[in-house]
Amino acid sequence: MSAYNKLTPELARELETLVGPGRFQYGDRVKEEYSHDEMPIYGRHLPEAVVLTETTEEVSAVLRFCWEHSVPVTVRGAGTGLVGGCVPLCGGVVLSTARMNKILRYDLKNLVVHTQPGVLLCDLAADALAHGLMYPPDPGEKTATVGGNVSTNAGGMRAVKYGVTRDYVLAMTVVLPSGEVMKLGKTVCKTSSGYSLLHLMIGSEGTLGVITELTLKLIPKPLRDVSLILPFANIAEAIASVPAIKLANLDPQSIEFMERDIVDSSAAFTGTPVFPTVVNGREAGAYILVTLVGGSEEELTLKMDRLGQVAQEAGAFDTLVVWTDNLKKDVWAARSAFLTVIEAETKLLDEMDVVVPVDRIAEFLVYTHDEAEQQGVYVRSFGHAGDGNLHIYCCSNDLEEEEFKRRVKKLMDACYRKCTEFEGQVSGEHSIGHAKKEYLRESVGDTAYGLMGAIKQVFDPKGILNPGKVCHDPERGWDAC
Amino acid sequence: MLNILVCVKQVPDVNLVKIDPETGSLIRKGVPAILNPHDENALEAALQMKERYGGFVTCITMGPDQAEEALRECLAAGADRAVLLSDRAFANADTLATSYVIVSAARTLGSFDLVFCGKESLDGATGQMASQLAERLDCSQLSCVEEILDLDERAGTLTARRCLERGFETAEARLPCLMTVEKSRYRVRIPNLKSWKASRKAEILRFDSRSIPGLDPAQIGDPGSPTKVPRTYPPAVGQRGRMLDEGSTEKTVEKLLGLLAGEH
Repeated sequence: MSAYNKLTPELARELETLVGPGRFQYGDRVKEEYSHDEMPIYGRHLPEAVVLTETTEEVSAVLRFCWEHSVPVTVRGAGTGLVGGCVPLCGGVVLSTARMNKILRYDLKNLVVHTQPGVLLCDLAADALAHGLMYPPDPGEKTATVGGNVSTNAGGMRAVKYGVTRDYVLAMTVVLPSGEVMKLGKTVCKTSSGYSLLHLMIGSEGTLGVITELTLKLIPKPLRDVSLILPFANIAEAIASVPAIKLANLDPQSIEFMERDIVDSSAAFTGTPVFPTVVNGREAGAYILVTLVGGSEEELTLKMDRLGQVAQEAGAFDTLVVWTDNLKKDVWAARSAFLTVIEAETKLLDEMDVVVPVDRIAEFLVYTHDEAEQQGVYVRSFGHAGDGNLHIYCCSNDLEEEEFKRRVKKLMDACYRKCTEFEGQVSGEHSIGHAKKEYLRESVGDTAYGLMGAIKQVFDPKGILNPGKVCHDPERGWDAC
Repeated sequence: MLNILVCVKQVPDVNLVKIDPETGSLIRKGVPAILNPHDENALEAALQMKERYGGFVTCITMGPDQAEEALRECLAAGADRAVLLSDRAFANADTLATSYVIVSAARTLGSFDLVFCGKESLDGATGQMASQLAERLDCSQLSCVEEILDLDERAGTLTARRCLERGFETAEARLPCLMTVEKSRYRVRIPNLKSWKASRKAEILRFDSRSIPGLDPAQIGDPGSPTKVPRTYPPAVGQRGRMLDEGSTEKTVEKLLGLLAGEH
């Protein structure tokens, strides 16, 4: 049973008047790209219409219209998600924030920036740096929108020092499913003022409201930074070094891990071998990449000395210093491009974004590799060693799609069970979308899952916003949760 | 043991240089200075030769005091000695005056079996330095070297594979030989902590116009430079691009093909 209405030509004509013809697609004119995100294996679903809004008022008008007519609405930023979060499972309208891409103003006295949600992360990061400031969240996907980052509570490579997107959202303007506009949060540093609806909205994947403006916290740009590559014989030894690195009082900005396979794939794809594969005559099997920040070269040198000592004791082949701008650019561009590399070399792809306790990372990876081998698929993995967030890609170039899905389902079932056993989380930063709902339920339990559904029901009693995601079941109608 | 010279240059990171729309001049303020990327490849080639045959690598540059940073990068990667040629009298030098100063200074450092330099600089991009240096040093020259295959010290010859537009060429040259190399095989190594720390404290050998013996003031800096740059300006912007959107990829491609066919 579907509780939603179709967008008839008459309704479409009416909807078009809310944004104008240049920013409206309907029927045959809806572009295929709106039917999927970067993980099309979870299915393609074309919306009936796409609206490209530019203002809060337009978003409000579109939502009010869809609310009145019980037409589902799915918000979309840059479409770079990995769990089908922006895919319109029930058709209806895709509301794109891509044109809401203006950085509105900086408040340098309070170290905040006011921005629209469709600004790309790379643009915000560069613009903040030009103001001598840093926007700390640094997910690998730089062409995601900040609205998307907030909706998924994206983390990224600097989370180990600065925290995740949630820690940088001070306030937002949000449009509720009914079209009502609401401001959440204030430009202040503390609050002890009732339930935080702001934090409920962060990470809610467009299921509770549509973010139309954001106030984000910035920090002064660190004066100096250096990255260091620690090559190890294998992933177990590499990961075993992480607790010692964290205990060394270095306050690293990032601690990333990567297995040799992905480094080789990246070198083959880009033609630029950035990470050395043979170090002091030994073949590297895995790497830890650390970034340290400080106020001066002297301070960084002291920190590097300490890291070098820890690395040596942990069995690293050497401590390689990425000091120059040229090298930093190459090393971090290579790291950020890993997913692109995997996508380019793989026909069929599925992913996990689990978080496990740091001391269980290696064990989890070994388990995953073993399970993958049993299922006849291969694994590429990298991620944030400092916070236990692993990006594991299950790949095949030989299997038929249905067979791949069947085998990967078995693999995923086993791995998410192991993750729960390790007291881990289903997703560290890619979110749940519709791809990981089942695993979320198993991980958090029926009571917590039911509470999530009840919250969804309070915000969106008609279930029109991003139906079928996180904890919502569109097949059972709007009272399903 | 090979005596190897690597000529390097510190350049502004041109990817970050903007052009003043009013004056048309380059805005260099706040733009980080980097070691010329082609020179990194030259350095790596030199270091590989040192590892293979034994040797001593000297890096030399002409520039202001801050060019020391580029030399320290070379030391961190494994160069044995760094030489900075710095004097206000060297300012505004073109390639002719620069190659004259570098070769004059190099002669005081000894005779070199191998000389490496980048094929061009990121900022000036004349690509003239290699040939001028080879001419002044009276040594043979191999450009576009993809891989150095062999060096016969007894015969005083070197064999290398050159990457040409339509294929590869194996060439033999007499020593001393100057080479510019391609980057595929000579991507500069990442230094380890020990080497990096040593490079930060290492002494840089400095020369000015008075400490290079026999330097002719008429051949250095502005007076010694026949090339003058009266103006720099950005290229004229051509016709603006046009976005096609026919509603679907297929229709858009069809439209594009139609337009292209119509144009030719």
